[in-house]
Amino acid sequence: MALVEIKNLQAAVGGKQILKGIDLTINPGEVHAIMGPNGSGKSTLSSVLAGRETYTVTGGSVLFDGKDLLDLSPEERACEGLFMAFQYPVEIPGVTTSYFLKAAVNAIRKHHGQEELDAMDFLKMVKEKMALLEMDKTFLNRSVNEGFSGGEKKRNEIFQMAVLNPKFAILDETDSGLDIDALKIVANGVNALRSPDRAILVVTHYQRLLDYIVPDFVHVLCDGRIVKSGGKDLALELEKRGYAWLETAAA
Amino acid sequence: MTATTTSPEFTRTHAAMGPSYGAPWLQQRRAEAAEVFDRLGLPPVTHEDWRLTNTAQIAKIDFNAPGNIRALTREQLGGLCLKKLGAQQIVFVDGKFSPEFSSPGGKVEVLTLRQGMEKHGDRVQRFLGREMPAQANGFSAMNLAGFEDGAFIYLPPDQGEMGLVHLLWVTSAHDQPVVVHPRNLLIIGSNTQITLVQSYAGFSSQPTLCNAVTEMVVGKGAKVELIKLQRENESAFHVANEAIHVHEHADVQSLVVNTGGHLVRNNMTVHLAEPFAQATLNGLTMAAGDQHIDNHTMLDHARENCPSHELYKHLLGGRAGAVFRGKILVRPDAQKTDSKQTSKTILLSDDAVMNSQPQLEIYADDVKCTHGSTTGPLDDEQLFYLRSRGVAAADAGALLTYAFARDVLLKIWHTGMREYLEEFVAAELHRLHLDQAES
Repeated sequence: MALVEIKNLQAAVGGKQILKGIDLTINPGEVHAIMGPNGSGKSTLSSVLAGRETYTVTGGSVLFDGKDLLDLSPEERACEGLFMAFQYPVEIPGVTTSYFLKAAVNAIRKHHGQEELDAMDFLKMVKEKMALLEMDKTFLNRSVNEGFSGGEKKRNEIFQMAVLNPKFAILDETDSGLDIDALKIVANGVNALRSPDRAILVVTHYQRLLDYIVPDFVHVLCDGRIVKSGGKDLALELEKRGYAWLETAAA
Repeated sequence: MTATTTSPEFTRTHAAMGPSYGAPWLQQRRAEAAEVFDRLGLPPVTHEDWRLTNTAQIAKIDFNAPGNIRALTREQLGGLCLKKLGAQQIVFVDGKFSPEFSSPGGKVEVLTLRQGMEKHGDRVQRFLGREMPAQANGFSAMNLAGFEDGAFIYLPPDQGEMGLVHLLWVTSAHDQPVVVHPRNLLIIGSNTQITLVQSYAGFSSQPTLCNAVTEMVVGKGAKVELIKLQRENESAFHVANEAIHVHEHADVQSLVVNTGGHLVRNNMTVHLAEPFAQATLNGLTMAAGDQHIDNHTMLDHARENCPSHELYKHLLGGRAGAVFRGKILVRPDAQKTDSKQTSKTILLSDDAVMNSQPQLEIYADDVKCTHGSTTGPLDDEQLFYLRSRGVAAADAGALLTYAFARDVLLKIWHTGMREYLEEFVAAELHRLHLDQAES
């Protein structure tokens, strides 16, 4: 059974139609990349899947692991195993990363009828994941994303992904604002998390990230529709030719 | 200016009912205060300082003296105690000293005001009504005319670190509206450190009026923390007039935490009377339903080189209203004053209202005074971020408001009290968010 089944998904923000009918099927273990020019609806797709309330779904359906995803609150989606790495992770002064993550881990465990992790087990688990992303020890006691550099924020997103262990992860423009070293660390983290049970959707403007996170499928989004799908070579072709030839085709 | 109309009964009950104990000087002060109250009545809304808090609803209620102490259970009291933190504790039930529930023994001589008048008569005579005179307003007049008892602490100079003292005021369940007039007098000698906590709580479903006055003198080089926890129930009216006189090189920090009460008004006046005295005034208000909570502060910079800091935070849900009015007076001799005032508010509902007003009066020319105020809802981006990680909406709200409130609590000097209040505030915020989610 497909893990994610998106059918004719349409969404608007402030009365403006952004997604005009997306069809996409993702199976466990697969890595899909969504590419497209600015304003094509890439981030809208991520946000709609994660449950951001500023977007209105105007049509279509999304099945996630057999459940009607669009019927779930953002927290229910997370508890069911959906994770989005934010393009612009927000700073939360006064809430330490450790406190925040423990709340998240235990909320998800509670949803599955599991006991809460005690402080010792939590710390042990978290430290293993920190090593994966080469995070500094002081990080857990810092407020969430406060004063972090762009690279640290993105690393923190993938770190959270490692801790929360989702079935389906959406990486929303995770490469934006990263220098090459930070990009490699983030990509290594993501690659370490590839598994037969997990699907990943990489949303990106540039092909560069896909040199490090090699996708199984590439889809091109133009004006709210997927106009072309293919294998990893499609990304290279886009790098060479740009998006213009496809935009013309979409119009 | 006309006074709020009070019924003849109100005036008779509250101004003329002062207990008959005490020396002639006290009888005379009470009589004078009663006259002041007769003249002032309760402050009218036409008075600039009371424009946003209408005392008319207090005047309408026929409050009575509590009479005999009603039964208060150990369980009721247990939740209010700070004995676990090693506090010396003095408890007043319905305005009367409760030897049964008090455990005042320890390093600090914690007395009732009645005991203080016997043991330290001259001191009480000298200070009672000095920092908070009857003339300040109708409530302070009513208190001096009618108070039954209160806590009295005199700490001699050079005592070092004196730990934690808890003054607990509880109103028991009554079948009619009752009024109590707590009156605390706290005199801290020079070079002495102490944390003093005042708690106000109540169990009556009938309206209660707690009309408190706390006067404190902080001696040279002393370091005093004064924490107030106002946690009465939704039928309570609470008015407090507090004044602190700070001597040279002394450092005083106040925290007022408001969670309870139907209508609450705190007047906090600090006189930085001598050079290098410093004051920090913090506040945390958590209100919902129809609560109205008003904090007025007055920082009187009389002399040079005195720093002062103020941080008042408010979390308002339901149809709650809050007021913060912070006056900073810099007198001509108060050169090199460094004063910073901040008021921050999170509105958890569309119907909650915040009114924040700084009021700076500066008569010296070499000073630094800043003030700032922000009011807004919870940050949607932060809420979504937490929810996208699995945290339920109400818990995410509680987490964010707790983070907002926490930096006020982190300033508490006494470790035990800081931890106690962190836990207390987290629980209160969780309740506030659940109320919010249900409404």
